[in-house]
Amino acid sequence: MTEGAQPDRLSLLLVEDSPADVYLVREAMRREGLRVHWDIADDGEWAIRMIDEVDSNASTPCPDVMLLDLNVPRCTGDEVLERIRRSPRLAHTPVVIMTSSESLDDRDRLMKLGATEYFRKPSNLREFMKLGRLVREVHERSVPLK
Amino acid sequence: MQVSEKNQVERIAELEQRLAEAEETLEAIRQGDVDAVVINGPTGEQVYALEGPDHPYRILVEEMHQGTVTLDPDGLVLYCNRQFAAMVQTPVESVIGSQIHQYLTQDDAAAFSALIAAAAGGHSQGELNLLAGNDQLVPVLLSLNKLEVSGIQNLCAVITDLTEARRNEAIVKEEQLSRLILEQTAEPVIVIDARGKILRAGEAARRLAGSNVLFQDFGVAFPIFDQDGPVTVSRLVSDVRSQNALRSVEVNMSTREGRAYALLLSASPLWSPGRELLGCVLTLTDITGRKRAEEALARQAEQLAQSNSDLRQFAYSASHDLQEPLRHLAIYTELLQQRYAGKLDPEADQFIERTIDAAHRMERLLRDLLAYTHAADAPQGDAASVDANSVLAKVLATFEQHIAKENAVITSGPLPVLCVHEVHLSQLFQNLISNSFKYHGNAPLKLHIWADGADDGTWRLSVEDNGIGIDGRYHQQVFGLFKRLHGSSRYTGNGIGLAICQKIVQRYGGKIWVESTSGEGSIFRFTLPGKESAHAKA
Repeated sequence: MTEGAQPDRLSLLLVEDSPADVYLVREAMRREGLRVHWDIADDGEWAIRMIDEVDSNASTPCPDVMLLDLNVPRCTGDEVLERIRRSPRLAHTPVVIMTSSESLDDRDRLMKLGATEYFRKPSNLREFMKLGRLVREVHERSVPLK
Repeated sequence: MQVSEKNQVERIAELEQRLAEAEETLEAIRQGDVDAVVINGPTGEQVYALEGPDHPYRILVEEMHQGTVTLDPDGLVLYCNRQFAAMVQTPVESVIGSQIHQYLTQDDAAAFSALIAAAAGGHSQGELNLLAGNDQLVPVLLSLNKLEVSGIQNLCAVITDLTEARRNEAIVKEEQLSRLILEQTAEPVIVIDARGKILRAGEAARRLAGSNVLFQDFGVAFPIFDQDGPVTVSRLVSDVRSQNALRSVEVNMSTREGRAYALLLSASPLWSPGRELLGCVLTLTDITGRKRAEEALARQAEQLAQSNSDLRQFAYSASHDLQEPLRHLAIYTELLQQRYAGKLDPEADQFIERTIDAAHRMERLLRDLLAYTHAADAPQGDAASVDANSVLAKVLATFEQHIAKENAVITSGPLPVLCVHEVHLSQLFQNLISNSFKYHGNAPLKLHIWADGADDGTWRLSVEDNGIGIDGRYHQQVFGLFKRLHGSSRYTGNGIGLAICQKIVQRYGGKIWVESTSGEGSIFRFTLPGKESAHAKA
């Protein structure tokens, strides 16, 4: 799913197969007051195709921040993250990993693969809504690099 | 005339004297007291031997293999032959005239007297030991007969040396014993010669082969093989020669009837005094049943491991995968609450509140179940030595605020170095101390932790508090999964802490238990393997 690029908006690539979480991520951004241009992939292969498109077509706009759920169909979150970090245009784009895993090993592995932040999906609303603040922060930190 | 008469008288006296001598000689010859007569002939003295009708018997007595002795009623030896003298290792001339009792042991003196008494009736016979001159005992058969000579009652004894007979009896007994052992032994024992011919085989061996295998070739009677192929006699003998013995080599055997055996082969060489291999003693222990049992056990262990793995996977998946919808349930109910609280009727608000509570509680339960599932998982690497003093210190640091807030006093004795993963020991201390804080009652918490060593290298650690205690009825129950003794309104928690403690302790083969009386505090004790017997330097 993609929406037309709008320069005044934050461009987010969300890789997430759960509609319930897609809604919550959108709600978190809304509550943070972020105006977002959304590109949403609900499986890993689709996400990789979108990255391929960015790499192969210079006119395709790059997302400002990527939100990547670890447990998506068809390929693993690790593979998608590795593909992102190999991309000439996206190698430095912030990637926030979203997962319900509590495994410290998962966290260490993904940080080594180049994740920018690691967001463990909480089970209460207030905590989940903090994702909005996190996305704003990683975006702001990444802007000077562009 | 007077001279002539005198000469005649002297002549008559001389003749009477010579006649008396001649009669005495004849009487002596008649009595058998003269063996030879010396005659002065023209060519000098000539010796003529006299042979009476009993001469052959005298020769017989001297030459017979038995010893013979003539005794007077008091046991004085009147005569003995050479055999008897040889038996008692004493010269004939020393035996004759000695007392027979000096050739008897004290133990046999009474038996001998009884034989003499019995011989009064004519004849007696018995076995006893003669004491030879070199202090050796000679087993003999003694036959006594009454002997009357010239009106004097004497005794004649014929003594048969039983030494050889006894030795033969011992050999026969030994042989019988060997056969008996071979027959009775539960293990199949086979004796072969150096060419593999079966010389002996016990009942168990015959049963194993299914036939009488005596004098058969071992390789034919017992077609055994190992991973290198058939165990031939030449190979067997060669191995026994080079290794001096084979001990418990696993082999297999298939009989012509189609029975299959797993056997343990042991072989010992039979060397001649000149170090020539005479043959081997072989044992074929039937371990077919044991092997089958081992295989069954291994299969069961594998199935159990698979089942445990499946169970862990199930528990992990169930708790992990259930978290997702539960998380959505909780968050979306909160969303519902945020948007519609106060807009529905009061009961609806309460329902929403309870749904959120239930969702969060279930989420905690699932998280605990997940923690329990992984509680005893081994971190990477083997359990290393860990100083329990430093682990406790680290854990206590996390309770710093609690300790200050509750005015708790926590003390510990010297703790050992344990052979466990640090994360597990840490979890044990964490859960037990946390429990003590939770159930400490009104008085400030006093907690003491110490250790005692056991002879088997394990350590018993004790955590004693002055809390509310546990009634004896619940001492087992408290370690159960999600078992709680108090309502959640009074004491929070899901009842997972002690279950996790138990799982960790059991992982190391230890035990955990509680000693407590309601209202009088508790001592939680657990055992863990030690790395060394001495206390670690704190």
